[in-house]
Amino acid sequence: MLIKLTGGIVYDPASGIDGQQQDIYIRDGRIIAKPADAVVDKEYDLKGKVVMSGAIDMHTHIGGGKGNIARTLLPEDHRQDPVYRSDITRSGCGHAMPSTFVTGYRYAEMGYTAGFEPAVLPNNARQAHMEMGDIPILDKGGYVMLGSDDYLLRMLTAKKDQKAINDYVAWTMTGAKAIGVKVVNPGGINAFKFNQRKLDLDEQNSHYGVTPREILRVLATAVKEIGVAHPLHVHGCNLGVPGNVQTTLDTIQGIGGLPMHLTHIQFHSYGTEGDFKFSSGAAQIAEAINRNKNITIDVGQILFGQTVTASGDNMRQHANHKHASPNKWVTMDIECDAGCGVVPFKYKDQNFVNALQWAIGLETFLLVNDPWRIFLTTDHPNGAPFTSYPHLIRLLMDRSFRNDMLATIHPEAQKMTTLASIEREYTLQEIAIMTRAGAAKLIGLKDRGGLSAGNWADITVYTDNADRQKMFEKPDYVFKDGQLVVVDGKVVSTKWGTTHVVKPEFDASVEKGLKDYFDRYLTMKLGNFKISDDEITEDGRGSISVHPLQGDVA
Amino acid sequence: MSALTFTLKSKPAQRVDMSPLVCQHLSGLSIAEISALTLQSGKLKLRVDELFTLTGSDTQDIVINNSADNLDFIGQDLDGGSITVNGDAGAYLAFGLKSGEIKVSGNAGLYAACEMKKGYLEIAGNAGDFLGAALPGNKMGMKGGTILVKGNVGERAGDHMRRGNILIEGNAGDYCGSRMTAGTIAVMGQTGRYLGYAMRRGTLLLWNQPKLSASFNDCGAHTLAFLPILFGSFKTLNSRFADASIAFNRVQRYAGDMSEMGRGEVLVKL
Repeated sequence: MLIKLTGGIVYDPASGIDGQQQDIYIRDGRIIAKPADAVVDKEYDLKGKVVMSGAIDMHTHIGGGKGNIARTLLPEDHRQDPVYRSDITRSGCGHAMPSTFVTGYRYAEMGYTAGFEPAVLPNNARQAHMEMGDIPILDKGGYVMLGSDDYLLRMLTAKKDQKAINDYVAWTMTGAKAIGVKVVNPGGINAFKFNQRKLDLDEQNSHYGVTPREILRVLATAVKEIGVAHPLHVHGCNLGVPGNVQTTLDTIQGIGGLPMHLTHIQFHSYGTEGDFKFSSGAAQIAEAINRNKNITIDVGQILFGQTVTASGDNMRQHANHKHASPNKWVTMDIECDAGCGVVPFKYKDQNFVNALQWAIGLETFLLVNDPWRIFLTTDHPNGAPFTSYPHLIRLLMDRSFRNDMLATIHPEAQKMTTLASIEREYTLQEIAIMTRAGAAKLIGLKDRGGLSAGNWADITVYTDNADRQKMFEKPDYVFKDGQLVVVDGKVVSTKWGTTHVVKPEFDASVEKGLKDYFDRYLTMKLGNFKISDDEITEDGRGSISVHPLQGDVA
Repeated sequence: MSALTFTLKSKPAQRVDMSPLVCQHLSGLSIAEISALTLQSGKLKLRVDELFTLTGSDTQDIVINNSADNLDFIGQDLDGGSITVNGDAGAYLAFGLKSGEIKVSGNAGLYAACEMKKGYLEIAGNAGDFLGAALPGNKMGMKGGTILVKGNVGERAGDHMRRGNILIEGNAGDYCGSRMTAGTIAVMGQTGRYLGYAMRRGTLLLWNQPKLSASFNDCGAHTLAFLPILFGSFKTLNSRFADASIAFNRVQRYAGDMSEMGRGEVLVKL
């Protein structure tokens, strides 16, 4: 079947196309060049419409045990947002941590066609993939979490060479079906278990004697050397601590030019100036990002309202539990891998700290020059549920709207931000870079995020509207792998997305040491740890898309 | 005007959500309109007149005759008026009751008076588990008003209770008054294990010596002047609680739960 999308205004940064009228042809799920003489089976007239590829959320917590803990902890959040079944969609519930099916529908209804879970614990990777396997329409993938696992810390204490660590990282990625590596509060989650309640970049884990700086260096090196496209995905030290802007600047400097992605950087950009000893470090951070081309970031914008924070960083979540609203929270240890903390949060515009957090996130968006190195996230659900993205896009694209909102927040916070003086407004092309082409490039997706021939036909069509929130809330059409899944912001058909992975090579002898370790310390045997392709594909829903490593000939 | 009466034709096969049939939703509606309302029952939506025979017209005075234990959510969010249930009530009787009066001649199921705000609930028979409690996961149970149960109650009566009175003429099950923040629960009969488990504040008033956890401290015998005033407030009730001969002012006082903030009290008649 040949589908033709006629006359849309195309924004395809991957091909350098910035708002040109173009026809797009789709056959067998992929975009093709204009065929010589084939008959068009279905034509969509898109004259005057805005056409982009499907959006990609490169950091969203949609799979893994913490989601279920958050769901269990907050039944009231679900009671307030029940979702009924229809002939084509399943029932569920929404808001801060929606059910899997509703997650898929709501993402698709905003024009998103892929989401990547940034905190897949190796031990829980199977559950994370099964949960993501229940999310319809979206493509998905995961970054496997390392850096506080006892095995790596033992290797570092024993001064194992980089090659051995590379093998361990590659083996874990392959076994856990990951496309990237994430580190959360490097070594800090582990230090929490030895009764440390904070861990600075150069502070030693009291048991292993390893510092976060060393962990970051060795993991960033491993990721680069085994050829994974996605740079080491870093949730740094001291999340949420006033004054952590210095930690973040030191982290950037300490990585020594290796590729590194700093995630939800808003939570790591706080100074200690002013009457409340809490200030914005966004300008310093943005300057460092602009200068260091090896660094990419996503923002982790907060937006006001009820949400729930779910993180592997049990050290910081434990410290924040007194802010829980409603007043209930969970932190836990997860075997020898990491930890988990779930704390419900209500961000309030009349709270000085929350209001300034909001402004810091926006300052970061607006002061970082290169849209290819900054990504639009709320760290769903930690800063806000993903359903608030259209509102966030409007804040970025519409200065007068932004200033109107700014005028309503806590007055002291207004005085502490330069937001009002920043004139920048994001263009549609820049939004397309942040949410499509840039994200695909950052993750290393070879045939997504673009509209040139050869790409999969993940396409979103919007009606241009000066109110960007309305525009991005309700796409006219969304195609996933060439199938029309959304019309006028409502799901009209569903399908299953693929799971994106990389398969780096490793020396098989790596399993020797690991087998003893698994037998002695873990609840699972080594053989069961490894997820086979069949587990994802056997029910006929899922599929696996392997992406090339750097150095591969594509 | 005579009471608006719903007489159940026969016990339905599936549970029925009765929440539409409360006084404030029905006021101003004709009998024909009320008959045409639908109630969720299992997978089906049934018309009111498929389930009930309707008589009378006073929507502020509702009677449910021949009631069964699978009629759930009777009197949900009732805000003024009265509902009289002849027979049993299902789960979530008087859920979120705001004001007004609900009386049941038989037994009530789980979660009766769940998150009740104010008003009066009387159950002539027994009540199930989680009487006056919070919904699972919620932090606040009953916030005000009075519940009178003439029979026995199940486990977890007053779980997360914040304010109001629960008066039980019979026995209470295990975990009576668990996680209470405040309020009063009076039990004339026996109480089960783990009385006042993790209670923070509030009062458990007992006629019989309970089996207390180690996390309750004996504070000795006291004569409390507030007790006659409390019993005085029960004078108008259709209950043994109104009987002057059951009142007392001399109690043994235990404080707990010390594994929580420990400002709750268990008062036992001496």
